[in-house]
Amino acid sequence: MLRRLPLPSQFDRIIITGGLVAGVALAPLLLVLLVLLAVDEITAPEFVFWLVAAIVVGGALGTVLLPNIVYAALSLVATLLGVAGVYLLLGSEFLALAQVLIYGGGVVILLLFGLMLTNATDDPVVTDGSQKPFAAMVGLLLAGVIIAAAYDATWGGSELAATSLRAFGERLFGDFMVPFIIIAVLLDIALTGAYVNARRERAPAGDDQEASS
Amino acid sequence: MIPLENFLLLSAALFAIGFYGVLARRSAILILMSVELMLAAVSINLVAFAAYLDPEGLTGMIFAIFVITIAAAEVGLALGIVLRLYRERQTANVDAADELKW
Amino acid sequence: MGMEQAWLLPAIPVALFVVVALFGRFLPREGDWLVIAGMAATVVLGLLVILDFQGYFEGSAFAPAGENHYAFEWAAIADVLAIDFSTYVDSITVVMIAVVTVVALMVMVYSVGYMHGEARYGWYFALLSFFTAAMLLLVVSGNLLQLYLAWEAVGLASYLLIGFYWERQSAAEAAKKAFITTRVGDVGLLIGIILLWRASGTFEIQEIIALAQSGGFDETYLTVAMLFLFAGAAGKSAQFPLHVWLPDAMEGPTPVSALIHAATMVVAGVYLVARMLPVFDTVLVARDVVLYVGLLTALMAATMGLVASDIKRVLAYSTVSQLGFMFVALGAGSVTAAMFHLFTHAFFKSLLFLGSGSVIHATGRQHVEQLGGLWSKMPVTGWTFLVGGLALAGLAPLAGFWSKDEILYAALSEGGAFVYVTLAATAALTALYTTRLVLLTFFGAPRDSSAHAHAHESPRIMTLPLLVLATLSVVAGVVAFDGVGELLGFAGGIGYLVFTEKAHAFEFHPDIAGAATAASLLAVAAGLVYWRGAAERAARAQAWAPELHRMLVERYYMDHLYQAAVDRIVLGLAGIVAWVDDHIVNRTGVDGGAQGIGYAGLRLKFLQTGRIPNYALAMALGIVTLALVAFGAS
Repeated sequence: MLRRLPLPSQFDRIIITGGLVAGVALAPLLLVLLVLLAVDEITAPEFVFWLVAAIVVGGALGTVLLPNIVYAALSLVATLLGVAGVYLLLGSEFLALAQVLIYGGGVVILLLFGLMLTNATDDPVVTDGSQKPFAAMVGLLLAGVIIAAAYDATWGGSELAATSLRAFGERLFGDFMVPFIIIAVLLDIALTGAYVNARRERAPAGDDQEASS
Repeated sequence: MIPLENFLLLSAALFAIGFYGVLARRSAILILMSVELMLAAVSINLVAFAAYLDPEGLTGMIFAIFVITIAAAEVGLALGIVLRLYRERQTANVDAADELKW
Repeated sequence: MGMEQAWLLPAIPVALFVVVALFGRFLPREGDWLVIAGMAATVVLGLLVILDFQGYFEGSAFAPAGENHYAFEWAAIADVLAIDFSTYVDSITVVMIAVVTVVALMVMVYSVGYMHGEARYGWYFALLSFFTAAMLLLVVSGNLLQLYLAWEAVGLASYLLIGFYWERQSAAEAAKKAFITTRVGDVGLLIGIILLWRASGTFEIQEIIALAQSGGFDETYLTVAMLFLFAGAAGKSAQFPLHVWLPDAMEGPTPVSALIHAATMVVAGVYLVARMLPVFDTVLVARDVVLYVGLLTALMAATMGLVASDIKRVLAYSTVSQLGFMFVALGAGSVTAAMFHLFTHAFFKSLLFLGSGSVIHATGRQHVEQLGGLWSKMPVTGWTFLVGGLALAGLAPLAGFWSKDEILYAALSEGGAFVYVTLAATAALTALYTTRLVLLTFFGAPRDSSAHAHAHESPRIMTLPLLVLATLSVVAGVVAFDGVGELLGFAGGIGYLVFTEKAHAFEFHPDIAGAATAASLLAVAAGLVYWRGAAERAARAQAWAPELHRMLVERYYMDHLYQAAVDRIVLGLAGIVAWVDDHIVNRTGVDGGAQGIGYAGLRLKFLQTGRIPNYALAMALGIVTLALVAFGAS
């Protein structure tokens, strides 16, 4: 009887746990932001931005820090969905849609397949490389450099303009048609290459016959 | 209104985190994921610049499309390589591929 | 058709060289007929050039100098250096063209018989064609750089042909010796050319001459330059002290000796000095050097020829000696006499070489001690050899007589009594050693019966050139007379042919000619009486003055001297250089550097883990550093 109950599988449990953890982690931030919004310290878009940014950065940290590969992959999903939110904030619905479809639907699934195919052992936990401290240092340095550069420069416009999907489509399939086609060919070649690379070499015909006889 | 710098800040943080992941992780799959993070960071940058500085041309957004496409291609290709590595070495650990020093 | 097409003279043989060298093996008879046909065409073309030069087609007397200078740009470096590829035909060129084309054709025809059945037969003909092309390019050159190019090309051809039997150690050695010895002179020539260019800014010979005559050079500077130039001429023409290579060069096939080492290449030096003589005329010191070097060489070589036993070596010494005669004439300022002697000498000396080749071909021996008694066996060779010998000895009315007479006259009028007497004595010596050579080769009892028994007259293809050259040896001298020249359609005799500016008719000087003839006859008679065809008497001469004889046989110890100089100085220097190379360059520099790097690699190799993440980290550090630098810079 118990087996017929829709009890969560291990995968579902992971999702539920992850969602709970994320919710618990995000709750204080949400509270702070709500308070700030209430006292008109930040505008509504900024409220959304900080929320989304927290999801993105938190997911990213989870991706690179979690020892369990499956958790890391799910964390990546969170990040990519957050990035789609960022695109929405920037007024590009099409990109947000593409991001969800391609990353959420394609890339992450591919990565999970990769995980399944390579992690033959049941233990999905991997250790990090020995150069972790140096990596952290370099990463911090890089972030510092980029942020300093971003704040050092004077950017022209400060107004966020809405983009029409029509204008975007005309530009993409008009002016950028040739690069688009080239990208398509590239994609084709890359998938062919992936196939050639990943397929198992057939044993020579002679060996087959020997084996069968 | 959200200032442009906020997006750049987010992008920089995401990029640095992805960078750290590439350097610190051992599993090829995880390294690939970190690369995806870096690509996403770059895309955020491109889209932000396009939305703020180039609302007529939208070139940055189009490039973001290209980046997404190429990321898909890259993942497919890289996974092929990882599978190959796995078949040769029975592991997806990049430390196993150390033939650069013979 | 005429002088304007003079560039074709070298172009035809060089094209045939390429064809025969590359495809000769696919052609019937390895392409010798092609080379000979091309040479015949070149002879005809040369004749056309000569006729055009003589104004034959215009009906006037002479084409003025300068109007036959044809050039196209060869290389130019902005305003600094402009080199033309030019042809220049004048009286000297005309004589050279006649000599080179005719002798080359005769030698090629002769070679068909002489080289029959030899290995590398087609290559031999290709080389002959190449040599002829280079020589013709040399004589039609209008500028010194082009001349130098051809000069080196004939040197190369000579090297290849002397070493034609390179399987033989001595041939390879001789080729090397000839090449290196002439190279010593060639460096001098190059320095001379550069010096002239530096002062005048041009390589064009006529411009240099004009500048020298108008006093455009510093006199000391010009003297030095001309002496360097003469060093090149002396190397090529085997003059003292660079004469040592020519006797050894006899290792090559005999027809080659006839063509290169008797008639053409070795007179390139004479040609060069004759060509530049107007410049030498402005610096008489250099001209005197030419005269006395020529005189010394003529005398030395003649004495060495007196004792040599190899028939070809005797002829080689004789060639050196006769070239000395020509330089004496040039030193005395007489281009006419020098070019006239060059003209006649080319015919009778190549005749003698081809005759000796015929003897060697028939007997397989080339030492006079092993020959003798061939007169009845080889009548054509014998007679023609005798004609050539008499021409060399300078007996009237053969070709050598007239030209030698001209030189003696020039020596007397310009050089003075000492030069004249020495030269006349050398002429008498020439008659003496020629007598010895002819007697020992063709008369007396055969000293090697097996060789004698197998001896036979050479095939017709070899005797035909002998007969042609013998005829030329007889008649070449009489073109000196104005009447003969006019009869042939020319404006005059050799004086006109060779000296256009102050056309000077050939003069016969009975007193000088008489004295010289008397001396030569006396020498011949002495030789006849002394040897009477017996080699034993030569041995007796050895006993009579052993020290002198030994010195002559050992060529005045010049070769030993050079060898010792090479051993002591060059090898000593080479030892020092070798030590520096071994200890400093090799052990410290190369090995030390390698060991240092090896040690550093040993210590640093732990940096190379072979793990990609480590490399990626290093890359990242580099990127961050670059970003920081760029950020700091802005």
